[in-house]
Parts: sequence; structure tokens; C-alpha cells
Amino acid sequence: MKYAFYPGCTVQTEQFGYEASVREVLPRIGVELVDMEGTSCCGFPAFSSVYPSAWYYLSARNMAIAEGLRLDLFPLCNGCHMSFAETKHHLEVNPRTRDSINKDLKKEGLTYTGSVRIVHILEILHDIVGVDTIGASVIRPIKGLKFATHPGCHAIRGGELKHTDDPENPQKLDDLMRALGSDVMDYPEKTDCCGSSLAIASGKTTLLIAGEKLQSVRKFGFDGLVTVCPFCFKVFDNRQRAIQAAMGDRSLEVPVFYYTQLLGLAMGLGPEKLGLDLNLSPIDFVLEKVLEG
Amino acid sequence: MEGSVLVIGGGVAGLQASLSLANQGIHVHIVEKAPYVGGVMAQLDKTFPTMNCCICILEPKMIECYRHPNIEVHTLSEVVDVDGSKGRFAVRVVQRPRHVDPSRCTRCGTCVEICPATVPDDFQTGFESRKAVYIPFPQAVPYAPSIDEGACNHFKGGGCRACEKACPVDAIRLEEGVRVSTLNASSIIIATGFQQYDPTEMGEYGYNRYENVITSLEFERLISPYGPTGGELERPSDGKLAKRVAFVQCVGSRSHREGVGVPYCSGICCMYTAKEAVTVKEKYPSSEIYVFYIDVKAFGRDYQGLVNRARDELGVDYIRGKPGEIRENPITKDLYVWYENTDTGEIGRKEVDMAILSAAVLPRFENVRLAGALGVDLDEFGFFRVEDPFLGPLETTREGIYVCGCSHGPRDISDSVTEASAVALKAVSDIRIATGGRGG
Repeated sequence: MKYAFYPGCTVQTEQFGYEASVREVLPRIGVELVDMEGTSCCGFPAFSSVYPSAWYYLSARNMAIAEGLRLDLFPLCNGCHMSFAETKHHLEVNPRTRDSINKDLKKEGLTYTGSVRIVHILEILHDIVGVDTIGASVIRPIKGLKFATHPGCHAIRGGELKHTDDPENPQKLDDLMRALGSDVMDYPEKTDCCGSSLAIASGKTTLLIAGEKLQSVRKFGFDGLVTVCPFCFKVFDNRQRAIQAAMGDRSLEVPVFYYTQLLGLAMGLGPEKLGLDLNLSPIDFVLEKVLEG
Repeated sequence: MEGSVLVIGGGVAGLQASLSLANQGIHVHIVEKAPYVGGVMAQLDKTFPTMNCCICILEPKMIECYRHPNIEVHTLSEVVDVDGSKGRFAVRVVQRPRHVDPSRCTRCGTCVEICPATVPDDFQTGFESRKAVYIPFPQAVPYAPSIDEGACNHFKGGGCRACEKACPVDAIRLEEGVRVSTLNASSIIIATGFQQYDPTEMGEYGYNRYENVITSLEFERLISPYGPTGGELERPSDGKLAKRVAFVQCVGSRSHREGVGVPYCSGICCMYTAKEAVTVKEKYPSSEIYVFYIDVKAFGRDYQGLVNRARDELGVDYIRGKPGEIRENPITKDLYVWYENTDTGEIGRKEVDMAILSAAVLPRFENVRLAGALGVDLDEFGFFRVEDPFLGPLETTREGIYVCGCSHGPRDISDSVTEASAVALKAVSDIRIATGGRGG
């Protein structure tokens, strides 16, 4: 399995722990990541409401680079994944837009044909590598801990597109956590937004939305929250102190992890290889418990 | 009078049409697919708006049909082919074996007791299990067991003959086979009824995922005195009495979503929901009942009165808004119903013990095969197409074949019965014409 790897701006500029853990664990389960030369911004989903053609162009440009490598495209960020998946769909049903984008891409010697497949990390782990293979890579199971899963809305959002998981009842991340030996359980707020799309318009609202979710995670007795989206992680982990302030609840502490960090721990890798020192939420208790077995 | 009429379906519409004809001296064949007559109405608790016991109204009709000298009831039977034309149809009917001889059976129940095979009881909408040899409900007509081949160990190759050995009167007929016969009829009446939409595909409501989200038909069994809980509203997850109940209207009907549900209104849900809400409130006056609706269609005589009674006298909370989502507390199994109240514009959440989905009325899937056998058309949804909704509202696209009840669209019991009586007159006219006006 070989993919054109597109980490995306959020991961490359601040979510180093995600990239570090992904580069560490994926090759160990047979996934080869090929770095792409000359990529640009994915287009950014929010940009689509102000300047859709620029969004399609930027998105198609990256997909054209992946097509040049004759590889399927693996964006690490849920937002980038959505940009690519939606643009691919849009250009399929609107060939005229595709032709005009290709005129611009030609200046750089690029062509977008639509042959590229966009794969999400949940698909790679759950559908392609498979839960069994992942389970077989585990030498230090994450036992006695119960995790709330948060796949992130961009990955499962409904609509005409083929979804990464069932938008109403996402279960793939839960399956993947069970493969590590962890307990999982559905909770009512599971598919709730992390709030990050409101961060620019109303930062306080973002924190309150995220806070309600963290409260639910606490209420149902979870030991931590696990996600695959850098935007969601950024809110729940990096902004957890601000969430506590907004909610007026200093005790609202929830350890937050990327799935690939927990997978790495379960594979027996050390925390330093997985960027765990970059998690800002209080993960020490969970970490000790996992490392002690 | 000469000639016979063949009625397909032994639900309330089919029974009513048959009785109307038989009481005029006309011979009737009822062809019923199930081992018993009664149809969906036999599963229902009460009628609306009169709040009468369904089975108490239906049971006399079931028995009268079965005992009527002019009616032959063919259970376990299906129409496979029709020859001829109006006035002289030759109808080929395949009858699956009952494997129990009703004329010998004394209804002692020994076979049911000894049978080792258990399957979900479809009459009780899966809330209970039953044996492979069974009588579905106490008022079943004919009141004799039948053997469900799909469930029976003998027919699944296990060679079991436990019931045959145990039967004290030698009434078990394991070797009985399929019978094909040709019945003559001057006209045919289709009364195949409906089936309820399975809301599983509407993932936002969690049906089949959350135990305490059920359909209205399942609710009818739960509240029925001869249902699985003896009529107490004990919720499926833990048997706790459900005192906070949400009814959700238009589930799968009036759908705008491509590939999900059906676009038409199911016609009956507003009223049966009012009836169900009243039933719960009368039984448990302290309960909290919410009805989530788009709009209330109470068009019949006294129908609005029942809705008013539920809302104004009994305090059922009617909230205008279709819930966007139902969620479950994984520990208590209580449900959260999220909605927008479109009267006030407020977004709200109600915590309830149980949610009941008013799932759409669908045509029976068997209509497709039956329409082929009868040589008549279906409409775009799978209901039987009528010639003209005004000039021939009960006439199919083939002369001499008629429809009544839910076979051609959603209808309540009273409309089904009215149509059944009307369609009988059509059949009488055909016989008169066929016999040169001598009949009657």
C-alpha cells in the first residue's frame, strides 16, 4: 500500500504529534507514505463559500500532483479530505469547470483527470489494512481504559458523497479502538461538532460547544477522548484550558489523543516517538496506565 | 344466485366484502396467505375515534366468515394465475400445507408444548417467541395450530417428529404437500392490505439501534392486553414502565429525501397516534406524552374531537416539529429527542423513556407478484392502480377485478370497511350481468 501523503497545513504548522505518530506507525502496518512535491493549500472548506472556483482550483491542483505520481491521495486532515472529496465530486458532475481548471493547470504542466482516489485515514486503517492486522500489531494492549471516540464531522458528513463511515452511527473508530484492547461505548454527543468551524466568527461559542462535549465524556465515565482530525484535536486538547475557563469549570479535564498515538503505544513504541509530549491535555494518568500495562 | 366471487386477503376489508356478498346468497372464496384470517387489524389494540377494542369488533367477523355456509376460507393460499375474463375467471390457487388436520385437532396444545423449535413471534412483532407449531393469538380463526415449515426442525432436515408422536388424536400431517386448485369466480376482489415501513434506514432515529425506539405497530402489541406485557407499557430495554413517551409522526412518509421513505402521506398516523396517546394517558394519567408532528390531519367525523381530547383535556403535549435526531443515554437507555418547535422557533430536547415512530404505510411487497398473476397494473409505489379515482375508484385496470382497503393506498379501518361494502356491490352487478339479470 502506497499513498501520496498530504499532511495539510494544520498538521504541518502545529499538529506535529499527529504527523510524527502517523509516520511512525503506518509503515509498520504496511502503509508506505510518499511525500508530494509542490503542493499548495487544499483550498480550505470554508473558502468554498466566498470563492468556490479558487477552492476547486487549489484542490484540483493537489489532486493533479497525486495523479502525476500515479498514487491515491491520502490527506491527513479531515478538512483537506473534504476539500478533495467534494471537489472530485463537483468536477465529475461539472465537466466544464474541470476543463477550465485544466487550462490553468496546464501552465504548470499539470492535468486533473479525476482518476485519483481520495482515502481517509479511517478507510486506510479500518477498510484497507483491517482491524485484524492492527490487532496483530499490538504488543502492549490499552487495557482497562474506556475511550470516547470522535471521528470528526468532515470525515462522515452526510450528502451525496460516499461517506468514510455511517454519518448517523459511525463505528469504524470504535472498531479500531477495540483492536487495541480499549473499551469503547457510544455516547449521545458522539457525533456532535467540536466547534472549530466557529473559531474565527465566535471563539467563545467554539469553546462552549467543545465544553459540552467534554462534559458528556466526563459524565459517562470515559478515561479519554480519541480523534483522527487535527482540527478537533486542536480544540479539545490544545484549547482545553480555555474551554475550562469558558465553562467556568476548572475540573473539566479530559485526556485527548490521536488514534495513531494510541496505536503507537499499543505497538510498544515510546511516547517520545509519538509526539505525546506535545499533547496539552492531562494525559499522564492514561500514559502511565498504558506503559505499566 | 349463481357464480362465485374470489376475495384475496382475509383482513378486515376482505372479511367485510365477503360477508356483504355471502349474506346476499353469493358464494365467496377467501384466499389468505397466512394460516389465519384477521390481517393487521387483529394486531391492533383499539379503534379510533371510538376507542373500541379491535379484536372485539373483528373476531365476530372472522368467525362469521369461517362458519358462513356461503364462504370458503382458503388459508395458506396464494393466487398464482388467472385465466378468463369478467364473469368467468379461472383462478389458480396454490395452498401450502398446514400440517395439522383441523377436523381432528382438539386444540389440546400438546404439540405446541412439546415442539423444540423456537422462533420470533411475528404476530407479537418479535417481542415474544413462539414454537414452530403454533396458534398466533387466542382468537385465531381457524383455531387450530399450523406448522411453520421455515422454523420446524423436521423440514429443516432434522427429522424431528415430536409433535406427531405426542398428538393424542393423530392430527399432525407432516407428509401433507402443496395443493394446487382452480377456483371459478365471476369477479375478484383484491384486499391485500399494507405493511409498515421499516425505519432502520432513517439512522437519525436509531430504530434497531436503540432498544427503546419502536414502531407504532410494535407499540400496539405492547399496549394490547394479550400482548407480550399483558398491556403494560414496559419498555424493551429493562422492562421499566415508560412514563415519558414521545410519538414521532411522518416517519418515512411525506419524505423529500431521495431513496428514503415514500413521498405520500400515510393518512392514518395522525389519528392512531392521537388514539395511542389517549390510551397511554388514560392508563397512566401521570405520564408525560409528546407528539411531534408536521401538521395534524384529522379529517373524519369526530377525528378532530379525539385530537382535541388528547391535547386539551388529557394534556398531551403536541409539539409542531419533526425531530432531527434521537439519541440514547448508553447507561440508562433513556432517549433524548432533539427538535425544533416550528411554532416558537426554539430548539429543544426532551428526555423520554421511549419513542414511538409512526412509520409509513407501504404497499405489500407481494403486490408485485400478485399483480403479475392477475394481469393488473400497480402504481408507482406498488399499490394497485385504479382505473379512475372518480369514475371507477375501486376498479383495477382489468375488468372484473376490484380493490378495496389499503391494497390501493393508505386507508383507515372505517374507510376500508366502507369500500369493502361498496366493492361487494360491484361484484353483485357482475354476477347479475353474467346470469342475464336472473340473479338475486
